[in-house]
Amino acid sequence: MIKRLLDWLKQPLGLIAVGIGFLALFSIAAYGLYLTQQPPAQPIQFPHKTHVAFGIQCLYCHPGASKGPAAGIPAPAKCWGCHQQIAKTQTSVLLAPLKDAVLSGTPIQWVPVAQVPDFVQFNHRAHIAAGKNCEDCHGDMTQVTIAQNPQVFNMGWCLNCHIQNAGEDQAKLVKLTDCGTCHY
Amino acid sequence: MSQQFSRRDFLKLAGVGAATTAILTGCGPASRYVKREPYMQMPEYNYNGQSTYYATTCRECAAGCGLIVRTMQGRALKTEGNANNPLNLGKTCARGQATLQGLYNPNRVQGPIKHGRGERLYDTFSNPYNDDIKNAPSNMSWDEATQAVADALKNNKPDEIAFLMGMAPDHLFDLVTDLANATGINAPVRFGALPMFEARATLTKAAGNLFGEARLPFFDVGGAQVVLSFGANFLETWISPVSYTRGFAGLREAQSKQRGKFIQLEARMSSTAAKADEWIPLRPGTEALVALAIGRLASELKGGPMPRAFASVDPLDAASRSGVKLATLQYIAGFFAGANGALAIPGGSALGQSNGLTVAEAVLALNAVADNFGKPGGVYFSPFAPNQTTYQSPASAKEMQDFIQKMADGKFKVLFVHGVNPVFELPASLGFKEALKGVGQVISFAIFPDETATESDYVFPDHHGLESWWYQRVATGSNQPVLSGAQPVVSPYYDTRATVDVLIAAAQLAGGAFATALPFKDEVEFLQSKIAPLMAETDGLFSAPEINTFMAYFQQYGGWWKASDGRGVPGTADVLSRNLDAAEAEFAGEGEFFLFPFVSPALAEAGANKPWLQELPDSTTTVMWNSWVETARELGLEDDDVVKIVSDAGELEVPVYRYPAIRPDTIAIPFGQGHTAYGRYAEKRGANPADLLIPHFNEAGDLAFAGVKVKIEKTGRKQPLSRLESIMGVYGVGLGEEQ
Repeated sequence: MIKRLLDWLKQPLGLIAVGIGFLALFSIAAYGLYLTQQPPAQPIQFPHKTHVAFGIQCLYCHPGASKGPAAGIPAPAKCWGCHQQIAKTQTSVLLAPLKDAVLSGTPIQWVPVAQVPDFVQFNHRAHIAAGKNCEDCHGDMTQVTIAQNPQVFNMGWCLNCHIQNAGEDQAKLVKLTDCGTCHY
Repeated sequence: MSQQFSRRDFLKLAGVGAATTAILTGCGPASRYVKREPYMQMPEYNYNGQSTYYATTCRECAAGCGLIVRTMQGRALKTEGNANNPLNLGKTCARGQATLQGLYNPNRVQGPIKHGRGERLYDTFSNPYNDDIKNAPSNMSWDEATQAVADALKNNKPDEIAFLMGMAPDHLFDLVTDLANATGINAPVRFGALPMFEARATLTKAAGNLFGEARLPFFDVGGAQVVLSFGANFLETWISPVSYTRGFAGLREAQSKQRGKFIQLEARMSSTAAKADEWIPLRPGTEALVALAIGRLASELKGGPMPRAFASVDPLDAASRSGVKLATLQYIAGFFAGANGALAIPGGSALGQSNGLTVAEAVLALNAVADNFGKPGGVYFSPFAPNQTTYQSPASAKEMQDFIQKMADGKFKVLFVHGVNPVFELPASLGFKEALKGVGQVISFAIFPDETATESDYVFPDHHGLESWWYQRVATGSNQPVLSGAQPVVSPYYDTRATVDVLIAAAQLAGGAFATALPFKDEVEFLQSKIAPLMAETDGLFSAPEINTFMAYFQQYGGWWKASDGRGVPGTADVLSRNLDAAEAEFAGEGEFFLFPFVSPALAEAGANKPWLQELPDSTTTVMWNSWVETARELGLEDDDVVKIVSDAGELEVPVYRYPAIRPDTIAIPFGQGHTAYGRYAEKRGANPADLLIPHFNEAGDLAFAGVKVKIEKTGRKQPLSRLESIMGVYGVGLGEEQ
């Protein structure tokens, strides 16, 4: 059967079919690749730049970053602390999901964009304690609406920074490049 | 495969297809992104991604062990012992670990329900292992429920209102006691299957007779050199098993002292007996005789005048009647008399006899021979808990019989039931279920759809123990007076309400004496009023100048306890000078076998609805998910034969487990299974040996549950028992009903 199929594919019509099939497959793959580079759909088009422009510190909404592994997503109650005093909250279409969430008691389902795989034991606290700033990894939030990753969080990227940070200090280099530092 | 399409072709095409699918789906964003829900209102002491730990108290039995519960994002994930709590010092038993499965049980009563008596509270399932949960929906609001309670209080005379409560929680018991004292309603009656099978009333009455104070004795197993236990299964469920297990570890510890010796005397080798150096299978009913004979032989070895308590017994006669060789009795007496720290413990089946009180007195008298009262390795009185001045005894089976008689006679117009399941736990022959017909209105506060809730008019579900505020007085097991405190570790999952809150609100609605009796805003205010007097104590774990700080510490440490040893020393003047009757116990019923019901170490009285406990192999037989009857090999029965056990009170069918460590004249059945309600995991499994028990009491009013004789009839059928080494019977395998 395979032989008959191959024979048919060598016919002009078959070649055209192969071409169309290849193009279709390529387009789908290209589209898939394109999608991976797009930020995911969020329940609220959260404008980071607006909030940063008001002078709100990163750690005000993501206090976990200085205290533990996860920076955390703020509870709607925290958003509401300010937003209930802002008249626009009551009328804005963009803010409707926040209002609905608070009034109905249903949590907002955010989609985190900065993720590392489960086998990486990432801890924000150590990085903040080492003097890193949020924007070193997460990019300049004064420029973006929904958070976007300025780079891919892969191991080479992590290690580059770890090696640079160690400088000439051999003991520190060993600690910062040890497998067990991140994978345990 | 056909000629046209070879197996190799098929594999190639399948491979290409699978790879294409994997690539295309792998590229999609859905595979990379997850959704996260933050808290609606982030508790300030929580961090994202980090567990929060709460100190609270276990409510799987009434011992009051402290727990530390790990929670994450508002979900309770793991329970461990609270290392601070002097009772359990960081340990828990299997039931404490499984308390989470009560919290997440799919058949919990999820809101207030009014229903007809006998109507099921959840659907009869076709498949117990699927996720198709069909619970009876809540059909009333809490306002209506509170009004119903208020009406029940207001529209009946005080002496027509009765409360039947379990052994925990104590704060609710205190609230109802206060209500009863102020309004004249009947004082709450407490009952539990565990105290019944421990014959706790007998033990305390014997202590009262011998020592002048009817308090719960504490046996310092850890400090002893030789321990004789007459039926006390203290490594399983007896009174405070976690604490006694720690004591047992101390007994066996051999680095700083000589390793202690442990001898268990009972007709069937229990899990506790399996840990003993010697198991002495005496004939049921001869425990008093054997204890007195050992006392006499030990006294002879010690020299001096023979105490009057042991004067009447003839060791040779005792040996022949008990089936224990005289040489064995002498050997035990030699150990007992020669040890520097000997201890004798009466409990369980030995006291559940018609002469149980004599057994308890005889065994306690053995301790007088060892002269161990108030000494390390000896007998003490358990300390009173911090806000307690007298021992609160649970109702004995005889008292329950009187209570049931009042129900049947129509003396109670309304019965409130909380924390206990008498329809299942009491022997059916006492007629609790039938007597409910004489009660006008039955209001249950059950968490689970148990048999008693099913027979109620209303079910107003309380929170689960892990969702609740409460405290529990530690009745025994610690040297220090301990009040174990509990706080909610998670928000309530369902539309349940704290029974204390319901009663406070209902009392306000009822007005009059009820409203003035409970002048509290809510449960926490009531609880604070009860622990506030502790702030004045100077000998405590902590103190504080005002209640909010004190309460914060109370929550942080999981309770409050004194630093000092609060154990009492039993008075010994009269112990050996009493005449103790060495007569054998009388047995009720006809039949050639002694029935030996014992509490399942894994399930106890209320664990059957937790799959972790059901799947926990019994520690001596490895049987899971079912009941069994232990019979000796000599009876000609085969494993898995279904036999009918017949007593004068009833009959049941149960598969045989041929047990190598049981007397041939005795059969044993675990208590804990045989539910007709109580949720999908508990229902329709095994049999309830309480159905066989005859209303037959000892002098202390405890049920002579080990004083029944039964017959065995073969049915010719077989039912494979599921065991650790065989999954026959699990999930229906081998029963023709595979799921």
